[in-house]
Amino acid sequence: MAYVKNTLRVLVFLLVGGLLHYVLPQHDVVKITSTEIIRMDFSGVNRIFFAQADSASAELATRDIRLINTVKRQTWLLGFIRRDREKVMVYRNEDTGWIWPPYFKFDSSDLQAEASAALSTNDKEQWAVITHYGWRNRFFTVYPNAIGIRKVDGPDVTVIPWFNIFFFAFVLLAIGMIRAMWRQFRERSIDPTLEDVHESVVQQKGRLTQWLDTWRSKK
Amino acid sequence: MGFIRLVIFGFIGLSVIYVLLSIYSRSIRREKLEDEWAEEHGERDSPEHDAFVEKGIAEYNNSLRPKLLLLVYVVPAVLVAVALYLTNSN
Repeated sequence: MAYVKNTLRVLVFLLVGGLLHYVLPQHDVVKITSTEIIRMDFSGVNRIFFAQADSASAELATRDIRLINTVKRQTWLLGFIRRDREKVMVYRNEDTGWIWPPYFKFDSSDLQAEASAALSTNDKEQWAVITHYGWRNRFFTVYPNAIGIRKVDGPDVTVIPWFNIFFFAFVLLAIGMIRAMWRQFRERSIDPTLEDVHESVVQQKGRLTQWLDTWRSKK
Repeated sequence: MGFIRLVIFGFIGLSVIYVLLSIYSRSIRREKLEDEWAEEHGERDSPEHDAFVEKGIAEYNNSLRPKLLLLVYVVPAVLVAVALYLTNSN
């Protein structure tokens, strides 16, 4: 039983952790090498890893996707430790609109222009910080979605993940609040009801024994 | 269309939170009032006790505190506006 419980716990942890890792913003230090547009024909496998057509446009099965090609500084530990190694990385650039995930991004065209304006060449290196969510997966042709681009002087910048700090602080607060509310509900509503039930059961038992006593031979 | 969906489902979700929070807040206040009475009079089962608690709850209902819970609707709306601005401004 403990084995099943622990397996379930690990599964829930992985699911929630995976979802958060996909949805929460992360910052990459990159050199933008080019931007391009490809036509994507989504399949049932990778459709959920893409947003929808640009805001106010019709949704068709096939559409163009803006891509940003970069060379990225690799990291360890979810981006907390930056390494000197570099690797190519491709980002998509799509409106998230009013829908999931709630970035409320409508400016993918502008972002593409910003990416073009921040191009890095061999003669003149230009570093930038790309804020993004999502994963890159080569087998399913899935790209992370770029949310913002900020030019920086060099690759050694300190990025403080303010949003994630506030997000996790809020989650802790919400968990504490839910626990407090549950305790109050149990103390004020469930426990008194249980006590009533217990009392009435005791009374019923009293009656039952009285009734049984009537069948006993009188002494 | 997406905007309307966000507003409708957001309103439903926030209403659930609002109702739960107002029940919780009132329950906390009721418990405090009962404890206050019990400390002074040492009993919890009398018409005076009930009147005292009901009066306190009525005062609470008319005070500013339950109205502050409407922030449950205001704060997320402001956060959405801020996110909208931060994401789309260059």
